[in-house]
Amino acid sequence: MEGFLGLTLPSFIGQLINFLILLGLLTFFGYKPIRKMLDERSNRIKQSMEQAEATKREYEQAQVEVEKQISKARDEGQSIIGKAAQGGERAKEEARQEARKEAQAIVERTRAEIERERDKIVDELRKEFVDTAILAAERVISETLDKGKHRRLIEKTLEESATLRRN
Amino acid sequence: MTGKRHRGSLLKIVVLTAALFAMIIISFIGSKVGSGIVGSEPVSFLDVEAPKYHPAPERPFSNLPITNTMITAWISTAVLFGLFFIGTRNMKLVPTGLQNFLELIVEAAANFIEDPAGEKHGRWFFPVCTTIFLFVVANAWVSLIPGFETISIHGEPLLRSANTDLNIPAALAVVSFCFVEYWGFKAKGISYLKTFFHFGPLWQALKQIFTGNIKAGAGGLLNGVVAIFAGILEILSHLIRMMSFTFRLFGNMTAGMILVMIMLFLVPWVLPTIFYGMEAFFGFVQAMIFGGLTLGFACAAVMEEE
Repeated sequence: MEGFLGLTLPSFIGQLINFLILLGLLTFFGYKPIRKMLDERSNRIKQSMEQAEATKREYEQAQVEVEKQISKARDEGQSIIGKAAQGGERAKEEARQEARKEAQAIVERTRAEIERERDKIVDELRKEFVDTAILAAERVISETLDKGKHRRLIEKTLEESATLRRN
Repeated sequence: MTGKRHRGSLLKIVVLTAALFAMIIISFIGSKVGSGIVGSEPVSFLDVEAPKYHPAPERPFSNLPITNTMITAWISTAVLFGLFFIGTRNMKLVPTGLQNFLELIVEAAANFIEDPAGEKHGRWFFPVCTTIFLFVVANAWVSLIPGFETISIHGEPLLRSANTDLNIPAALAVVSFCFVEYWGFKAKGISYLKTFFHFGPLWQALKQIFTGNIKAGAGGLLNGVVAIFAGILEILSHLIRMMSFTFRLFGNMTAGMILVMIMLFLVPWVLPTIFYGMEAFFGFVQAMIFGGLTLGFACAAVMEEE
């Protein structure tokens, strides 16, 4: 029954089968799930690394974008301020001009009024003067001349003198 | 302050060393050999029986065809299967405890194997090489548990290191051989046979001679004969490998077992501990060698010749 150093066929076959069973058991209950898990984990890690990378890139892009927008807004604000200042300046100028015009108009109107007043007074004076002159002339030349003719003559003379003076 | 504490720990070491030496000397004098030298009777609890070594595994149950090494092999199998079965229940993506430990082993083995074999072949070799390693190491380490070779039933030890039964290294060697040849055929197809029966160069040379190109043919003739001879050597080496596999493991493990038994007999206390540590290390080394050589031969079998 006992062979060389205890080597026997039944024992050998038994150990062979035992080892093959162990091989099968460990393969299906040990190595396969563990290796699957290891692969899954390494995939997961790879994925999250990629994700982190992508997020970082996105963040950087966003930062650049924000920077750009901020500078754009700054420019816009600057231009708005400039425009507003310009507008204010213009409005001021306009107001000044308006005021000047208004003043000019008032002055003009006043002058016209004064002139009109003066003319009226001059007219009245002239009329009075004519009347006085006529009266005087009547007295001087008595009743030689037609009163109406006389008046026209004097008036004409005065008219001429008045226009002369006014100019 | 620190000096005082330092002196205290030094004192502890000295006392401990002295105690250990005393235990060695006492246990030696009390044992059978030591007491014979001194000329006194051996102390009862130090009187270890002289080791009896039989190369064949014992049968503790006389009416059953079960050897004690078979029981040990089953224990190793159960331990390994139990570890992997429990460790792979409720696998988590973030591993803890046993799962972490098993993943460590599997990953280390996978790296060890795929480094020389490459990704594709490494996946073929992985289960067999790893299982051989784990089985051998489990057999070696399980047999270090106290009770092995000392608990007896019907005068025969109930448990004995499985690696010291020639049948187990032989079975592993045959498995290794069969898988290596299988992988060879799987990788190269029928042309794998050319490793062993390489008649091509000789045939070429003969053809050249018969077609008149005698000078080139004569030169090729020697090459042809060498190629055939190399094939024969290859056959022999593949067969002898099994022998060397078997007796390397068997011899190392048996020597270790005998060494521990003899140390236990001579100096029952303290000294065998050192040999226990050595045996744990040698068990690991032998397992590494068995798995690693299988891997090496497998790599050689699937390697493409240029």
